[in-house]
Amino acid sequence: MFIYYLRLAVKSIKRNPVLSGLMVAAIALGIGSSMTTITVNYLMSANPIPEKSHALYYVQVDSWDPHNAFNEDDIPNQLTWTEATNLMAANRALRQAAMSRTGGIMEPDNKDVKPFEVSARLTFRDFFAMFEVPFLYGNPWSARADEKREQVVVLTKRINEQVFGGVNSVGESIRLFGRQFRVVGVLDDWQPMPKFYDVNNGAFEESEEVFIPFMLKEELALPSWGNTNCWKAPEGDGFEAQLRSECIGFQMWVELPTLEDKAAYLDFLHSYVSEQKTLGRFPRPMQNRLSDVMTWMEDQEVVADDAQIMLWLSLMFLFVCLLNTIGLLLAKFSGKASEIGLRRAVGASKGDVFLQHLVETALIGLVGGLLGLSLALVGLEGIKSLYGEYIQALAVLDLTMVLVGLVLALVSSVAAGLYPTWRACNIAPASQLKSQ
Amino acid sequence: MLQMTDVKKVFRTDLIETHALRDFSLQVDEGDFVAVTGPSGSGKTTFLNIAGLLETFSDGTYELDGVNVSQLNDKQRSRMRNEKIGFIFQGFNLIPDLDLFDNVDVPLRYRGFNAKERRKRIEQSLDLVGLANRMKHLPAQLSGGQQQRVAIARALAGEPRFLLADEPTGNLDSTMAASVMALLQDINARGTTIVMVTHDQVLANQAKRNIFVRDGQVSELSTGAAFPNAAIA
Amino acid sequence: MLEIGPIFRSLMRNKTGALLIAIQIAITMTIVVNAVFIVYERSQKMQRESGIDEANSFYLSSSGFGSNFNAKVTITEDLAALRQLPGVIDAVQINAIPISGGGWSMGLKTQAGVEYDGVGVAVYMVDEHGVNALDLDVIAGENFTATDVRWREPAQSDWPNDVIITKAMAEALFPDEHYSKTVGKTVYINDTEPMVIKGIVDKLQAPWVGWSRVENAMLSPEHLNNDATRYFVRTEAGQRDAVMQQVETFLAERHTGRIIRGLNTIEETRARSYRGDSAMIKILTTVMIVLTVVTALGIVGLASFSVNSRRKQIGTRRALGASKGAVLRYFMMENFIITTVGVLVGAALTIGLNIVLVEQFDLTPITWYYIPVGMLILWLVGQLAVFGPASRAAGIPPAIATRTV
Repeated sequence: MFIYYLRLAVKSIKRNPVLSGLMVAAIALGIGSSMTTITVNYLMSANPIPEKSHALYYVQVDSWDPHNAFNEDDIPNQLTWTEATNLMAANRALRQAAMSRTGGIMEPDNKDVKPFEVSARLTFRDFFAMFEVPFLYGNPWSARADEKREQVVVLTKRINEQVFGGVNSVGESIRLFGRQFRVVGVLDDWQPMPKFYDVNNGAFEESEEVFIPFMLKEELALPSWGNTNCWKAPEGDGFEAQLRSECIGFQMWVELPTLEDKAAYLDFLHSYVSEQKTLGRFPRPMQNRLSDVMTWMEDQEVVADDAQIMLWLSLMFLFVCLLNTIGLLLAKFSGKASEIGLRRAVGASKGDVFLQHLVETALIGLVGGLLGLSLALVGLEGIKSLYGEYIQALAVLDLTMVLVGLVLALVSSVAAGLYPTWRACNIAPASQLKSQ
Repeated sequence: MLQMTDVKKVFRTDLIETHALRDFSLQVDEGDFVAVTGPSGSGKTTFLNIAGLLETFSDGTYELDGVNVSQLNDKQRSRMRNEKIGFIFQGFNLIPDLDLFDNVDVPLRYRGFNAKERRKRIEQSLDLVGLANRMKHLPAQLSGGQQQRVAIARALAGEPRFLLADEPTGNLDSTMAASVMALLQDINARGTTIVMVTHDQVLANQAKRNIFVRDGQVSELSTGAAFPNAAIA
Repeated sequence: MLEIGPIFRSLMRNKTGALLIAIQIAITMTIVVNAVFIVYERSQKMQRESGIDEANSFYLSSSGFGSNFNAKVTITEDLAALRQLPGVIDAVQINAIPISGGGWSMGLKTQAGVEYDGVGVAVYMVDEHGVNALDLDVIAGENFTATDVRWREPAQSDWPNDVIITKAMAEALFPDEHYSKTVGKTVYINDTEPMVIKGIVDKLQAPWVGWSRVENAMLSPEHLNNDATRYFVRTEAGQRDAVMQQVETFLAERHTGRIIRGLNTIEETRARSYRGDSAMIKILTTVMIVLTVVTALGIVGLASFSVNSRRKQIGTRRALGASKGAVLRYFMMENFIITTVGVLVGAALTIGLNIVLVEQFDLTPITWYYIPVGMLILWLVGQLAVFGPASRAAGIPPAIATRTV
């Protein structure tokens, strides 16, 4: 019977090509626009590390100005060097990594490869295990390397290809920041989206190109490539003075598997800040915070306002398209009143008529949905060309989104079809059989 | 076959009540050919709609083939229409974008026959009305008389025991009307009970039995003239 | 006016279709009016001038490496050489590029002390050529001289004695005084460190185009002693691209121990900084147009259907003496009534959506006259859309009344 209904649906759609075309177009446009914005929002709000996002916490303490809060009523979004190194030294979490962004010139020994500038992440060895960073060759550096400030480096796959032609370069030496570094590891492809561990330079920027031990910041007086905010000028001149100032420019993540661990870490932060207060620091009221990955992403408003505005507008757009479809379906089905009357007379129950028209509606929805998905592809291409390279990774239709799109098209067209279909199957058969 | 006793049908709007049928009683026996005549607004069509289970009634009883139909729900009524009743309308009511085969197929689909059974019945019934060779034509490609014969084929395909015809020749010229009438008589001769509503007394006279409806009531019964079996035109 | 009563009563008996159209119009108006408002705001924002000679300026980075790289010498020689190049009006070392997105901000105070509030300001570190290279006009006081300019060592935290600020910054610091009167006054940086206002420039935007105080900027007379540095070059009109090509190789060859990169025109930088806004404008414009077309087609579809299903009734009216014009007017009027309901609801929804946008996304409240203009436009769209079906209705011959099939 389903095949029969499908055949009838095709015939019926062909009977009013313009009306059917309008309906398919309306659904396609609505689905196309909403799928475009849903995809962008979905990818922007994606969980970058779903398997353990609840166990990873971003650390915040309020070391700011006694006279003004950092930002309206909020506490600073980064740590000072002092806190970053002290909290790391305390070693109170399962895993922990303070970090910041820097960069400089890389000079390969191979003279065929010209010196070039790389971005670097200063961090601790736990970074790799904590964020489940995949290695192609080698391993993270040792705890000793962190402690002894060894000049070791982990390269990304791309840099390894650029400098070493993609071969296993572990143990090789490379000149970085004017110093010799030893390669200890090469990463496999890794690009968390959003780049949750540091959203300062944009939540959808690429990860850094090389990773080096955090304490080299001080050792090599490396510049800051991220945001630095100060409420108080450094006391004295020189790199050391600036490093030890109240300026914030460092991030820190800790891995705390259970809620007890989290509570314990908060207690620890409390006692740490209390201790610092006795030293005359932390002039503001005590306020410490641990945010898990998704909470932090929300707090940092990773999903752009514009993307959300467009999402809401496009959903309203879809709604208009559905209203349109309802109206057109009503028109279409009432044009079929005499056929429906006849079918009822020769023995079709209301259920039969209902099913027949539901199939027709769903078919329109499906065609509209497929067309809408191709429109979404066009829309995403448009978004890419409008926003440029930084959004490339955010404008991809994955399988989930294709399914969501089809389901959305089906559900919304069937929802739009319910009322017209209900009206159709309630047509009194007798009223339609007289020929006037 | 059909037994109506004191059937009432009242149409209500905000302002008025119209008594379409009042205490309508009629019995039609198996194999009969009844012509129902009466002036416009007398209640003929309402009677036909109720008899064909297309409409419900307000009061009284109606038994079709021994079943009290006032107890049935929509699904059961649909089933009964499908299995026991065939309809023929003045306007033919063929579905314009289905070919003849598919038009005759419509009631058989709801019957749930398999494809082979449906094909057999469609071919048989189109053959009976002389249109087996035009199965793939659309209704618009046929004359009015041919269209009405397709409608008859559709009504017969399910082998109903009871055929309801509403002005079956109303839209046809006299030659075509005669051939359709002859076809109906032939069908009746094979045992199908027919009730035909018409305002054409000449046509009515060709039925086995005539009833006259006025003001929603059967006002007069007369036995129609005997007629010879007509060949299919 | 003509038969509003009967049309209205006829609509009330067949509510569904009319209601659907009315809701569509209401939501369409809600989206379109809010979108137009956002588009207008964004294009206003994009039209702001940065104050520099955007068409003829570019910048680049130079990163020295190796132990024999001497930043001070290289920068001094680079600047002298760049300023000699044909086609170059002026060149300057600078710490940040206006409207580029990345820079340095400080707070200036009119009274020394941590307890006083400061005014945020973007800092541009330039020498005495800064004013010319950036194409600024000193409208009060005077430009830096070569002797004002010092070298800022890496991680040096104190500030020079002089400062040039924008007119907007002067007015923000001293709201009660004419900007020209602020020359010679002392302001405090880092809470307590004094700087004397040496001059006022007309206009120079901060690097952050989304910052609410984008017009607040200051020039600090200094060179930066840093291996990685940035040069800003202003060229003669039309010479930019030629000079850019030349400069890259010129600088690279002057010193091999460095990398020249990040060559960008201000025009590209502007496009990138405002890319989100320009994208939003394009997307919203597309949405508005498509949405209006969809709604109009919906009106055409339903009106056509309503005309078709009333052919006999229309024929009868014609037979009874209604003129073609009267039939046309009937359908136009019907649409007008429906649209009126739609735009009235739409006006309320528009304000509602705007309130949500203001609260959720910090947008500006809508200007009132957008709403009546939006209503007018949708009335017009409705009338245009219904005109086709209505004329077809007017074309129905009276003879149809007597036909039975």
